[in-house]
Amino acid sequence: MASVHESLYFNPMLTNGVVHANVFGVRDWVTPHKMALLVLLSELGRAGAQLGLLERRRLNRLLLPLLQGPDMALSRLRKAIEECCPHLAGSVHIRLKLMAEGELKDMEQFFDDLSDSFSGTEPEVHKTSVVGLFLRHMILAYNKLSFSQVYKLYTALQQYFQKDEKKNGADENEMELTNPEELDGKMEKEELDGPLREEEIACSGPLSQKQAEYFLSQQASLLKNDETKALAPASLQKELNNLLKFNPDFAEAHYLSYLNSLRVQDVFSSTHSLLHYFDRLILTGAESKSNGDEGYGRSLRYAALNLAALHCRFGHYQQAELALQEAIRIAQESNDHVCLQHCLSWLYILEQKIFDSCVLLEHSVNKSLHFGLPYLASLGIQSLVQQRAFAGKAANKLMDALKDSDLLHWKHSLSELIDISIAQKTAIWRLYGRSTMALQQAQTLLSMNSLEAVNVGVQQNNTESFAVVLCHLAELHAEQGYFAAASEILKHLKERFPPNSQHAQLWMLFDQKIQFERAMNDGRYHVADSLVAGITALNSIEGVYRKAIVLKAQNQMSEAHKLLQKLLIHCQKIKNTEMVISVLLSIAELYWRSSCHTIALPVLLQALALAREYSLQYLASETVLNLAFSQLILGIPEQALNILHMAIEPILAHGAVLDKGCAMFLVAKCQVASAASYTPQKKIEALESAILNLNEAKTYFAKVDCKEQLRDVLYFQARLFHTLGKTQERNKCAMLFRQLHQELPAHGVPLINAFK
Amino acid sequence: AVIGRAGAMAAAVMAVVPGGGDFSDLREIKKQLLSVAERSRERGLQHSGKWAAELAFALEPLPLSELPPPPVLTEEDARDLDAYTLAKSYFDLKEYDRAAYFLRGCKSQKAYFLYMYSRYLSGEKKKDDETVDSLGPLEKGQVKNEALRELRVELSKKHKAQELDGFGLYLYGVVLRKLDLVKEAIDVFVEAAHVLPLHWGAWLELCNLITDKETLKFLSLPDTWMKEFFLAHIYTELQLIEEALQKYQSLIDAGFSKSTYIISQIAVAYHNIRDIDKALSIFNELRKQDPYRIENMDTFSNLLYVRSMKPELSYLAHNLCEIDKYRVETCCVIGNYYSLRSQHEKAALYFQRALKLNPRYLGAWTLMGHEYMEMKNTSAAIQAYRHAIEVNKRDYRAWYGLGQTYEILKMPFYCLYYYRRAHQLRPNDSRMLVALGECYEKLNQLVEAKKCYWRAYAVGDVEKMALVKLAKLHEQLNESEQAAQCYIKYIQDIYSCGEVVEHLEVSTAFRYLAQYYFKCKLWDEASACAQKCCAFNDTREEGKALLRQILQLRNQGETSSTDVAAPFFLPASLSANNTPTRRVSPLNLSSVTP
Repeated sequence: MASVHESLYFNPMLTNGVVHANVFGVRDWVTPHKMALLVLLSELGRAGAQLGLLERRRLNRLLLPLLQGPDMALSRLRKAIEECCPHLAGSVHIRLKLMAEGELKDMEQFFDDLSDSFSGTEPEVHKTSVVGLFLRHMILAYNKLSFSQVYKLYTALQQYFQKDEKKNGADENEMELTNPEELDGKMEKEELDGPLREEEIACSGPLSQKQAEYFLSQQASLLKNDETKALAPASLQKELNNLLKFNPDFAEAHYLSYLNSLRVQDVFSSTHSLLHYFDRLILTGAESKSNGDEGYGRSLRYAALNLAALHCRFGHYQQAELALQEAIRIAQESNDHVCLQHCLSWLYILEQKIFDSCVLLEHSVNKSLHFGLPYLASLGIQSLVQQRAFAGKAANKLMDALKDSDLLHWKHSLSELIDISIAQKTAIWRLYGRSTMALQQAQTLLSMNSLEAVNVGVQQNNTESFAVVLCHLAELHAEQGYFAAASEILKHLKERFPPNSQHAQLWMLFDQKIQFERAMNDGRYHVADSLVAGITALNSIEGVYRKAIVLKAQNQMSEAHKLLQKLLIHCQKIKNTEMVISVLLSIAELYWRSSCHTIALPVLLQALALAREYSLQYLASETVLNLAFSQLILGIPEQALNILHMAIEPILAHGAVLDKGCAMFLVAKCQVASAASYTPQKKIEALESAILNLNEAKTYFAKVDCKEQLRDVLYFQARLFHTLGKTQERNKCAMLFRQLHQELPAHGVPLINAFK
Repeated sequence: AVIGRAGAMAAAVMAVVPGGGDFSDLREIKKQLLSVAERSRERGLQHSGKWAAELAFALEPLPLSELPPPPVLTEEDARDLDAYTLAKSYFDLKEYDRAAYFLRGCKSQKAYFLYMYSRYLSGEKKKDDETVDSLGPLEKGQVKNEALRELRVELSKKHKAQELDGFGLYLYGVVLRKLDLVKEAIDVFVEAAHVLPLHWGAWLELCNLITDKETLKFLSLPDTWMKEFFLAHIYTELQLIEEALQKYQSLIDAGFSKSTYIISQIAVAYHNIRDIDKALSIFNELRKQDPYRIENMDTFSNLLYVRSMKPELSYLAHNLCEIDKYRVETCCVIGNYYSLRSQHEKAALYFQRALKLNPRYLGAWTLMGHEYMEMKNTSAAIQAYRHAIEVNKRDYRAWYGLGQTYEILKMPFYCLYYYRRAHQLRPNDSRMLVALGECYEKLNQLVEAKKCYWRAYAVGDVEKMALVKLAKLHEQLNESEQAAQCYIKYIQDIYSCGEVVEHLEVSTAFRYLAQYYFKCKLWDEASACAQKCCAFNDTREEGKALLRQILQLRNQGETSSTDVAAPFFLPASLSANNTPTRRVSPLNLSSVTP
């Protein structure tokens, strides 16, 4: 169910899920903001022992993000310092003011004094500490400046300071009443400045190399882990364009722009950015070695591979295959086994769209282990498990394999894969029809503390695994009749995965499926019919199936039959066993609805055999229910009761509420039917137990609000009470029946003849 | 009062300028040109002045009585005369700040324009200087002309009050364009063209801002004879060469036959449609008329390069080097020269020098990319091409070059994207189509490849290779009829254009055709083709063998059964391919052969 293979992109900023910043830009430049930091540091040194322990600790905590973060306005910096130590903020401001309003020589003097902190027998700052490195970087950068650059820096500092002053001044001015003349002049000026303002904002952030890298890696990791927290696609693109305008050589920005375009499904600009990125990357790689392992030959291979990934993402499988072939060819030529492994995994993904390729995958897993690529290996194992699960392999082996790969994950702390593994287990349990196990796994993932949280401080929560698990959770709740809870979960999904994001389709499908089920339960077939189109758009097979169900419910038997036959052939071809069994069940239902129980029997037996073979327990029990019903109608209720005992247990344990109700109803019917031959005493006992069962069925049906079934149960119960001579109870049931009967239109199928 | 006069002046100018396409009064036009050249020069707009003067030079000289009178000085002009004279001399010496300082407070239009213009130029100059020592790599692109914003505020005030004359509007437009406010800039330039249609600078700026035909259609332009020059120019820019050539021809007919500007533009237009011979002859003519001209000589050198005319190129390079070696065009010509001599390092060096002289000169980036390609330095080539694309996204040669680079790196699928981009920009250029077709062929996407080749042929194949490739594809797919058709067309093409250039594939074509006719039992055609085969070294033996066979079979056929003649076989037209084609019957073949 979970196609959790998408995370295989070669991302230069992410290897094995860890974000790396680019390291080539070590050069630093002095900016006014950095000068303010230098002032802060020197004040810190001067204050020395006067500072309290608590203040010192707060300041130390503040320093690191300040040193690494982007430049900020003076007012913000001051506020940040004030929160830690108001006294220090004041002295920093005064020092800056003296420098900015003084002369150039003040600044020169300041830099001359800076290096003093290293001297002495017991220097304040250690040379190799974080602060020491920063100081030395700054001193070096300052000394490298030419005369005009020094002057420019000084004017920049003045502007930096004055901007802050002006802002403060403006704040004060707002309180006072300015004389009208001045106001006029101001207005005019603002009017003229109006149209300029926007572009000013766009050009506001002159980021240094380091800051730009920080920005990029931050956004990239947010995109990967929690898309909703990242900048909106439009504004991110704007920032990137801005960045690229100032430094077109900044290759990573192109990659981020590629990721960003992927978010909005823009095939054109994402291709453009991706290729641009690799063109740029080739430049930086070219300096080191030519065409070798590390040189630009490597980026060429990955360029082709990424292009394949891109086409695959947009569903251009043929294009993707061509690109992949190219990547494989180049990788083979240069003996790059790692790249080849990546290619192999991708090849599997592509081939999967066409036919089963277990061999390919097994090969990939072996090789990946051999080359020490745990990430790729476990992905392979997971895909393999997924495929085997569909192919009906023994469950214990699959779980074993998953456990083994889990060991691998924990060893290498591949938190992403751990998530995927749990999600996969949820899906597999669901497939087998063990809803409690699925529920447990889903809750495990949701309440697990991610490893990432410890490492980076970013909760990984918009990966596909979370989407899958949450969707299953929603469906499980809906099955148990907790519709409010289900819609709550869906609401959460909507927030976490906005409709245009990559995994949004998952919840869209589940949302519509749940709505469909509800509409069917309520007998609002027209609503269900309108939902079919939406489901078809997201999953065509599911859509066709639902269409057939609606037709069946509307008593358009022959159309439904035609559709189901077609679907059956298609599903058999693509080996979608789950759907095959469901379709068989629906076909059987069509038969018994048309009172051809003898024809329905072999179909049901076929379904049962399939379900048993693929250990799809839940579907098997449902088939048994159908079978029992047919037997009941064919006049062998004892037999029916016998096989019902097989099915009733798993259904009560794992089944949906609706199914539970149907099962109990059927049991009651069988009991009544078989009681016909009993002695009067025994008969009364049997009927009474049937009434109890009907009561249970009633509560189940009430839970999911199935009025039609409720009505049938009531009718049946009334008859039983009548037979037992309990008039009062009979009348009560009859009254309830009448109420419901007036609400609902009578449908064509006689009451006894339907069990669903 | 000031507004009134500016308006009146504009009206006066409008009144005298004849309507669009009306070139009946050349004397009047010459008068206008002379006066506008003078006025441009007074305001330091050298390029516009040069353009007008060049054009005026192409017309008959005026008698003394008809010379335009010196411009009338107003009271204000007289008041500002001293400041203006001083400032103009500073301006000419490139001391812009000094000039602006002495002009502050001047009210006359001329002085005010010079005041603003020198402030603008001072900002530009400082910007260029500061790019050298900025405070960091990311600040590099951020250095901007600080004066622009102030200028914009002041000019927009004046603009609102309608106090700007044509030159002032032009400057306002330039400022807007520099601030990337393209839409506003276009509006202002159009206004400038209305107020002062004679000022070529405004038209030229408009040319740079309009990037597609649709925008051009919706501009309301003044209906003057200057519009014709503008249209011709912009058609060349937009690659609408046919229309451009028509316009230029009509301008020549109207009496501007001596204008070097028009001649050079025509040559460039021919260069753009790759009509090399015509372009070459026009350039030669141009060099005769204007031997010290440096403009457009880079285009000329490209043509010489394409034709591999080494001595001519060498002469041109030396000549230009003597005139001025620190010009972009000169560097470009020298680069081409070295490239032709296969000294690619030196060539790259000269292109780099050209870029140092003018970083916005995009042709050099592409050419440098080509040089790196020759040196097999693919990564540097990619870098150069990418730079070219950055300067101008519509540079199809750079896209094509990138495609070629990746093709060399054996990534046919990867380069498809680049070729497609190039093809989008030049939909009717066969080279991109052939390149695309080759890539598809490598990827074994034969259907697409066929389409590309066929289209390449349909749009007029320059290298004449599309048909052969198409034929070979058909051959591969065992579609012998279509293959034969293609070969026939190919041969027709080769001979009809009258070139005696030795084409390698001609022999292949004849050989295939001979075999094909032989199979179809069309003995006459087969033997004709076989005889043709004998004219080529590589197919001679085969041709002879085939001839002998034909002779043999013919004799047999005549003796055995004359009535059962081979069915006359007309190859099915390629219309099965959904391609419109004139059906060529194989009988026509003999008439095609020279």
